Amino acid sequence: MTDERTEGSRNPRLQIANVTKAFAGVTVLKNVSLSAHAGEIVALLGANGAGKSTLMKILSGVYTLDGGQIRIDDKITTITTPQDAIAAGIRLMPQELSVHPDLSVAENIALGSMPKRRFAGIPMIDRPAMDWQAEVLLKRLRLDHVAPGRRMGSLPLSEQRIVEIARALSGKAQILIMDEPTASLGEADADNLFAVIEALKAEGVTIIYISHYLDEVFRLSDRIVVLRDGEVRGQFKTGETSRDEVLTAMLGSDLGDLYPAKSAARSDAKIVLSVEGLSLAGWLDGVSLSVRRGEVFGVFGLIGSGTEKIGRAIYGAEPAARAKAVRLNDIDIGLSGPRKSVRAGIGFVAAERKRQGLIGNLSVRTNTTLPYLSLFTQSGVVDQKREDARTRDWIKTLRVKTSGPDQEIRLLSGGNQQKICLARWLLGSPSFLILEEPTRGVDLGARREIYAEIRRLAEAGLAILIVSSDAEEVAGLADRSLVLEDGKVTAELGQDATATDLMRAAEPRSASRDTNELEKA
Amino acid sequence: MSKSSSIPAAPGVSKKQARSLSDLLGRPAAGIVLLLLFYILLLAAFSLLSPYFLTLSNLSNIGTNMAFIGLMAAAGTPLIIGGGLDLSVAAVAGLAGVIVALMHSNGINIWVGCFTALIIGCAVGVLNGFIVTRLKLNPLIATLGTMSIFSGLSMVMTGGLSKPLFIPAFNWLGSGRLFAIPFPIILMLLVFVVLWLILSKTPFGRFVYATGGNPEASSLLGVPVERTQMVLYIVSGLSGASAGIILAAMLGAAAPNAAGQHLLTIIAAIILGGTSLFGGRGSVWGTLIAVLILGTLNNGLTLMNVSSFWQDVTRGVVLLMAVGLDQLRVRLQS
Repeated sequence: MTDERTEGSRNPRLQIANVTKAFAGVTVLKNVSLSAHAGEIVALLGANGAGKSTLMKILSGVYTLDGGQIRIDDKITTITTPQDAIAAGIRLMPQELSVHPDLSVAENIALGSMPKRRFAGIPMIDRPAMDWQAEVLLKRLRLDHVAPGRRMGSLPLSEQRIVEIARALSGKAQILIMDEPTASLGEADADNLFAVIEALKAEGVTIIYISHYLDEVFRLSDRIVVLRDGEVRGQFKTGETSRDEVLTAMLGSDLGDLYPAKSAARSDAKIVLSVEGLSLAGWLDGVSLSVRRGEVFGVFGLIGSGTEKIGRAIYGAEPAARAKAVRLNDIDIGLSGPRKSVRAGIGFVAAERKRQGLIGNLSVRTNTTLPYLSLFTQSGVVDQKREDARTRDWIKTLRVKTSGPDQEIRLLSGGNQQKICLARWLLGSPSFLILEEPTRGVDLGARREIYAEIRRLAEAGLAILIVSSDAEEVAGLADRSLVLEDGKVTAELGQDATATDLMRAAEPRSASRDTNELEKA
Repeated sequence: MSKSSSIPAAPGVSKKQARSLSDLLGRPAAGIVLLLLFYILLLAAFSLLSPYFLTLSNLSNIGTNMAFIGLMAAAGTPLIIGGGLDLSVAAVAGLAGVIVALMHSNGINIWVGCFTALIIGCAVGVLNGFIVTRLKLNPLIATLGTMSIFSGLSMVMTGGLSKPLFIPAFNWLGSGRLFAIPFPIILMLLVFVVLWLILSKTPFGRFVYATGGNPEASSLLGVPVERTQMVLYIVSGLSGASAGIILAAMLGAAAPNAAGQHLLTIIAAIILGGTSLFGGRGSVWGTLIAVLILGTLNNGLTLMNVSSFWQDVTRGVVLLMAVGLDQLRVRLQS
């Protein structure tokens, strides 16, 4: 019914024309154009680092565009602050829930634009108006059973999500950007959310829907726009395309020489690390895996699948994790905390580089030598000359762009920081290395170098576990891989696995639909 | 590839000039040099304004008066660098003096009393460290609590009265001289040197900076974050007890509330010295110069007959200006 509107002669509500954005000389968006009509759901797809979130942050006023323009209802609109975006009717629902659990539902909705009235000249919050406004919005979103006065934190997660939508609508939003709205929801809750989204569409709200779950995208959207490496690589009418066509546009078939050649299968090599029955409440449920000497082992999964935790759980950084056995070189080391893991010979590169990987205000040298500082210590004194020399060696080997070992590491670019995060483990001689999202926020040039180094290390005999939410990366790099969904292993794949194979295995919700399609074909 | 290689080509000449300035200002030593310059200016100004200022006896006065504050500020510096904070340190100083005095008045050997006071200083450090690292309480709140407890206990034990302590051997700790230099100054300088060596040369010092800079990342890299903080709290408690003993020896009496008023001076000196309250940055030398600046300011203004109320005002202005300028320096750098 609404399709007529999208195909009609009326101009789109939102037009993004030739938008360009660069950070520190690295282009992340190149001439991106897309449009969306009133009452249309446009799905925006792309692998990690494709530029989706940058584009959405430009639309919502977090970043300012370098070139191109944004037109809303045919009027050129300048958006430089989040306030501009809200005034233009654009609302972003970020992936992470951003509610105030100790305020009431009505307060959460009205936050930022509380209805006021004056009492003796003093502005006060008009509570009846605020509650009434909340009630109307909640009704519109099929949440009539929630009283506006209830404490936000007492609602289930899925209903908090919907209250967030109500908040977005309270500012008369015409364009709603939803970033992975179902990431933390169960199936029934997701269905409920979809019904709300459908209702909004019928009311004429324009929705930009970002998701990794193709199933959701095919179920909800009218059109699909695919971003890759900062460019639009495909625009599809949802009814006229197939999952494979979309996946190809998303992942590309031309991996080129980004990934180093894999070595011959090593099914006879010695097992370096084996984990049995690894569990972490709410995240992992009895996962077992073993990594051989000289092997790159990949773990892939979508957001919320447990991939976020598996690397650090093995490393011992999740105190609540339990495992039947963790054996490193045939010795049972259990899950005993990072310090003991380091001593046992395990290295770990965290996904959240800034928060968990770097001590930003300390030097490149200090950051490099920290885990194996004892190797540089003689009779209680750190040998800074040797530290300096070894750091320089690695800066040269990995071609780290820095003014020198004494530069503060926070001043380096993401890719160069990541090279240091890798190099620090190579100063010692670990036998097992865990890399979480090894190239998140890293530009293409540095990615190639990091991949080459990972392969070189494997060939030198290291066992490497790569945990990534980037299917292409796992497919391109891993000798064997494992796919997680809902904390369980859904597939174990070999060297020839493609990104598409991994994506399929990561989406059990789409399994039935896939077989239907196959039967039709 | 072309993307990344285009980065160095982009900046022009102006950026190069800016970099040399920001490099200069960005060096960790820059803040200390600026502070030292300020101190020299201050010395020059006071020697012009007061004929009594630049005499050996006056200068050694400043040193002796600031020594026990310097002791606590010295130990507080690595603690704050390591992401901690100890508001109870001055209260521990008061408690230490009281313990020495009470044990002495009960006929116990003065040195046994001193030793006991030091042990209790350590114990308070363990308590603070336990509350912060294990119970995960905010250090501000935790040590505010213990500060209140221990300053209260000192009052309870003495009834709020000063206890005289006239024992020549003991009083020597506060007013004696070694090589013509007052002993408190020697002790303070010794502590500064030892802490500097530990912070800059040893793995433990490295752990202190790493822990304060980013505890989460540090712990993932195998740094014993909790143990490091625990040790720092113990050192702080120990410094409080030593400062208390020195002060009691200097005054010839244990006054339960003699040290407490200096808590803000201690914190001010550490911050004025360029140590970041957010952890990860700082040096003991900055603290030392800041201690001297605050002591000199106090002494110089007294010589000029400025009322002590105005001295408080001046100290506040100096602190705000110095920290403000330092912020400006850091911002210029990036």
